[in-house]
Amino acid sequence: MDNEPVKEKKWIYEEIVGRIPPFSLLSYKYSILLQFLLLLVIGITLGFIFDLEQISLLYGSLAILVAVSWSLLILQLAPTLRKFRAPLSKDENELLERYKGILFHKNHYEAVPGLVIFIPFMFYLYYFGTDLLDMWLGKSPHPILLLFVSLLIWDICYRMGLGLWTSVLALWRSIRLKKLAEKRSELEHTPYTELRYLQKLDINNVFFGLISLLLLPLFKTDAFLVVITLFFMSFVTLTSLYSAYIISIVPWLPPDIYNLVNESSFAYIGTSLKGKTHVTPVVYVFDGQKIFFNTSKEAKKLKIMQENNKVAFLIDKRDMSNIYENKAVLFTGEVKIYGIMDIPMHFIDMLAALKLFMKKYPEYTKKYSTSELPKAWQLTPIIARILVEVKPVKIIYWRGAKQISVPV
Amino acid sequence: MRIPEEIRNILYGNYFGYVCTSDKNDQPHLTPVFFIYDENSQKLFFITNDRSKKVKNLSENPNISITIDIRDPVNPFNNEGVMAQGTAAITDKAPIYFLSEETLQLYYDIYHEFKSKYQKVIENKPLGENDVIIQINVEKMVYWKGPHFKSLKFKKDE
Repeated sequence: MDNEPVKEKKWIYEEIVGRIPPFSLLSYKYSILLQFLLLLVIGITLGFIFDLEQISLLYGSLAILVAVSWSLLILQLAPTLRKFRAPLSKDENELLERYKGILFHKNHYEAVPGLVIFIPFMFYLYYFGTDLLDMWLGKSPHPILLLFVSLLIWDICYRMGLGLWTSVLALWRSIRLKKLAEKRSELEHTPYTELRYLQKLDINNVFFGLISLLLLPLFKTDAFLVVITLFFMSFVTLTSLYSAYIISIVPWLPPDIYNLVNESSFAYIGTSLKGKTHVTPVVYVFDGQKIFFNTSKEAKKLKIMQENNKVAFLIDKRDMSNIYENKAVLFTGEVKIYGIMDIPMHFIDMLAALKLFMKKYPEYTKKYSTSELPKAWQLTPIIARILVEVKPVKIIYWRGAKQISVPV
Repeated sequence: MRIPEEIRNILYGNYFGYVCTSDKNDQPHLTPVFFIYDENSQKLFFITNDRSKKVKNLSENPNISITIDIRDPVNPFNNEGVMAQGTAAITDKAPIYFLSEETLQLYYDIYHEFKSKYQKVIENKPLGENDVIIQINVEKMVYWKGPHFKSLKFKKDE
């Protein structure tokens, strides 16, 4: 990692807008809102001057709304990526640097797809005899109106291009990241927070794609453009969904810890209420992403966690014959306790966790089901044994006598 | 109070204890430790580095708990363990010739106990420069075997 100050990464349009007051003085959200209002005011004023139909004003407003919503979504990319901490894997770090490098290339490649959409579209609009211009502006519109509409069309096309550009790059990045993650060793990984950032950006792009549906009323008389818009919508949405899905299956734990969590049978859960601590062993399962443990409804720790959901959760491998082989991982953070109210929203997760428990501890499941047990121990699925998910904020890993802090 | 046989067996028969402390914001922390149990004083001891998180937590909040257990991945009815809850006392840390007679004796005794229990792992390693002895003054013990629980309350010191 070099220490030179990080240059602010900006796209061409944002760079221009960022230099013009008053936009340059505002945070990006307000700057976008101001642009939105400004465009609306200009549009409506022009509408009145040239005596446009109300429907024309509606069409114009819709186009402005789409452009501004797209800006809001896509402009979260740069600030989010700026917060990004470097992955603890050389290859993954290089990949993400390359991704950022292409995304915000100094040659402004991001404008290319926009141009590729804009130029043919303008030809189509003016020379192929569609009646779209008539529909939007009425017969023989004033050149100033045409200029304003062309500006709006550029705004839309430029952002459509950005949508394509960012979603294709995101998919490439996700696929590569998943591949590189399979070759990790020891403590190499990309932290959880960073993976969630990437996923959030992908989800933003899903919405980006869906928003393009708002353009359909503008093209309602032109079947060809309707098809193109639907194609664009499906492409961006599906690409981004797929990219988000791939990110969701990239392990957020480095292999050493992943294997320890995956292979151990028991964990210890530490809880604290008004300073008084409590620690007991628990059985747990790990689905590659989430860690769940089980507790009886009557357990003291459950009552404590209901009051204070901060926990320490430790998994270890102990071996008295060789202490240098001893490994332990401590997750500190919070828990989510699943109750009856969570069944509608999390039914699949809860069922999957239950299945994992049955697979990992078949004898436990059998024994818990016998009815001679105290009520609290009987395995009435989901209800008597309470499912708890560990949500780590900090990870500490011990190998032999060495203590390593692992970013989450 | 006499400690029941089954609890003593666990305390004497196991090498690892899991120590839970929490900071002033009630955020728990957990580490495995080597420990010894002293029947005379009915106290537990372990040695740790004075820069560790648990020492930092204990200086903010002296409450401590430790669990020692036997785990059976197949049959939960064989799971057996003890959780002791109480407060911790940390020995003074000073160059050895400034320590009180009492502390020195404690160091000596505890270290010997440790050496005999963990011979295989600590061999002749002396106490480290930053090591301190943590003494757990037990207030309550919970014992379980399978689904059955037993709880013992201790009188507080003094």
